[in-house]
Amino acid sequence: MSLQISILTPERPFWNGQADEIILPTETGEMGVLKNHAPIITGLDVGAMLIRGGQATGSKDEWNSYAIMGGFALVKQNQVTILANEAVSAENINPEEAKEAFEIAKVNLEKAEGVKEKVEANFAYKRAKARYQVVKVLKKI
Amino acid sequence: RGKRLLVDDLLGNMALRNAASFLGQRLVGAAELGISAAKSGAGEALTNAFVTDGVRHASNQAVKQRIRAIKNIGKITKAMKMVAASKMKNAQVAVEQSRGIVNPFVRLFGDHPGVEGKAGVTVAVTSDRGLCGGLNSNITKYTRALLKLDTAAAGEAASTKLVAIGDKGRSQLMRAEGRLFSYAIADTYKVRVTFAQASLIAEELLKSNPEVVKVMFNKFRSAISFKPTLATVLTPEALEKQLTEPTGNRLDAYEIEATHERSDVMRDLAEFQLAATLYNAMLENNCSEHASRMSAMENSTKSAGEMLGKLTLEYNRKRQATITTELIEIIAGASALMDA
Repeated sequence: MSLQISILTPERPFWNGQADEIILPTETGEMGVLKNHAPIITGLDVGAMLIRGGQATGSKDEWNSYAIMGGFALVKQNQVTILANEAVSAENINPEEAKEAFEIAKVNLEKAEGVKEKVEANFAYKRAKARYQVVKVLKKI
Repeated sequence: RGKRLLVDDLLGNMALRNAASFLGQRLVGAAELGISAAKSGAGEALTNAFVTDGVRHASNQAVKQRIRAIKNIGKITKAMKMVAASKMKNAQVAVEQSRGIVNPFVRLFGDHPGVEGKAGVTVAVTSDRGLCGGLNSNITKYTRALLKLDTAAAGEAASTKLVAIGDKGRSQLMRAEGRLFSYAIADTYKVRVTFAQASLIAEELLKSNPEVVKVMFNKFRSAISFKPTLATVLTPEALEKQLTEPTGNRLDAYEIEATHERSDVMRDLAEFQLAATLYNAMLENNCSEHASRMSAMENSTKSAGEMLGKLTLEYNRKRQATITTELIEIIAGASALMDA
């Protein structure tokens, strides 16, 4: 109940609420933010973001996950602002679909030739991976 | 579409009938033609009838045709008003939600409309289609004033590029400030405005490495109020400069964590801010356009109704006068026969 989190996308404010801990998929790896973290601005990669406790879930030790398609995170004085290009909540992802999409994207990435195709395939792969990861986390944790 | 019809003779009502027959099709394009003709044609008919009465009448047949045409124009504008109202309702939802992401940026970087950058880009967001009231000329007016301020402040070293989003802005600004005009982006509202579109435009705008990007658009306050608003987005170099000013932002308070240099992260962040600001600006302008068109069409329908009333009176008066004249002739002839 110590962090005030707002996830914003260009289309709409995605989620506002409180939580105890948040794990961000930054470009340098996963970064956890707890109460009284130092002020920081970091870029976010396409990946899964995890939120523990507070209004996101029922109990203090449950995790909720969201797929973030890149963006930025600002942390200051226990206020975490996530500016994302796109965000999807775990509830809204169909697990089988996500798994299938992930497999297809992986195959496409290996098949891709030429710079343009490779870049597109890579992007699609990252998106599918993020969505799949989110679903996996929900089933495991 | 830009043809100006000279409505000397009342065969100008042919254009009115053409416009009326476009009902249900491309309302805006055709109605523009028809309405300009109706304004000039019907106005002339009235003056002809009342001022030069007795010398050159509008023949009753022609007045009847004009009445029919104006009735149709009234129908068109009423339909356009309803279409605009429903579009505005949809757009309103999107606008309110897109405002959320602009605020953190303003909180972080501050708003510095007074920044004088040597190489700046000014973007005027306008609509593609007309018949939306004074919206676009308002933007043009404010943009020109802004450009004057900028060039006055920075002197000859200033190189502000002018970019217009929307056809109306393009035509107006090209005529007014052709020297500074750079390029225009049109047909953005044909399909829904998306963030991807805004990102593309932002990328294009930043290609010339400007110091500051100023976006002029109509902010949607309510269904009857849209204010021209200026959003200023600074690029990282200008931001760093701002830090040293007394009104500078508190960016230093943040640590930047990234694999790349701090400047790369800042540049990406600034680009994101520009894209989000543009997205919000385009949505707000789009919504204001619909609201303005709604009220413009409402006024149009009302004046069409008034014109209709006046013309109908004139028509009936003439009709009765003709009948009376005929009766008098008949009676006079009959009484002459009787006397004789």
